[in-house]
Amino acid sequence: MFLINCPYCGERDQSEFSCGGEAHIERPKQPTELSDDQWAEYLFMRKNIKGIQFERWNHIHGCRKWFNIVRDTSNDKIHAVYKMGERPPVK
Amino acid sequence: MLNFNSPIKSEKNYDDLKIIEIEPTIKINLRGNKRQFSTKIGKILSILPPNEANTSSGNEKFNLLWLSPDEWLIYSNDKNISLEDQLNLEESLFNEISKLNQGAVTNVSDHWIMINLKGNKIYDLLSKSCPYNFNDFKKKNGSVAQTIVNHIDTILHNKGDNNINIFVRRSFSEDFWRWLNDSAKYV
Ligand SMILES: [Zn+2]
Repeated sequence: MFLINCPYCGERDQSEFSCGGEAHIERPKQPTELSDDQWAEYLFMRKNIKGIQFERWNHIHGCRKWFNIVRDTSNDKIHAVYKMGERPPVK
Repeated sequence: MLNFNSPIKSEKNYDDLKIIEIEPTIKINLRGNKRQFSTKIGKILSILPPNEANTSSGNEKFNLLWLSPDEWLIYSNDKNISLEDQLNLEESLFNEISKLNQGAVTNVSDHWIMINLKGNKIYDLLSKSCPYNFNDFKKKNGSVAQTIVNHIDTILHNKGDNNINIFVRRSFSEDFWRWLNDSAKYV
């Protein structure tokens, strides 16, 4: 269990949130021109890093807004929280 | 709000704790982020939607709760507000906001059930199964929190002096009511 600082509501328990997986994955501009392998790469393949990871989270039991988090997956330490559409802080 | 029928039919008293359902209460959900939106609400309700997170505004008739940067909930303080007045309020909000594409107005009176908790032990009771930190919530009249209590989504509104209103979805209300009363025996 850890606390997350929602950019809208403030600090709340992790159980109020749901994780939406890796952040900043861009949808290919011309999906029809991709091979099945390339499409599968975009759709399913994730980095699953042990260490600093950029993630999307949703405050699902609170304000229901999406935002981004920079989290160390090895110890759940949160290094940064920033809103959707904002540029990720440099590593 | 026609043929209102709640699964909860009683009022419970414990040491320093009183639990009662307050229904029927009119509740209207508002969504919008345009500038005219706030002004329109101010004109119709004579209350402006609060911009600060986890707060509410209100007068003797209505409360306006902050739910998200672009979402608010209106609810009435008066159980006996006539059906005609309710429909008029909904209609004027709908005509002034939804119809002009300045936001969304949804009557959620039958979606949420309002339960009132009173007494010195209310926070002990809630803390039995709620991850929310009530320290700041307690101190400030009108503070609002959306959180989970016993894994159930709730909206909490502090009315001051150990008196809070809790909104819970109708389909969860009976379960929630049973949990409240069960846990109240152990605080
Ligand atoms: Zn939030």
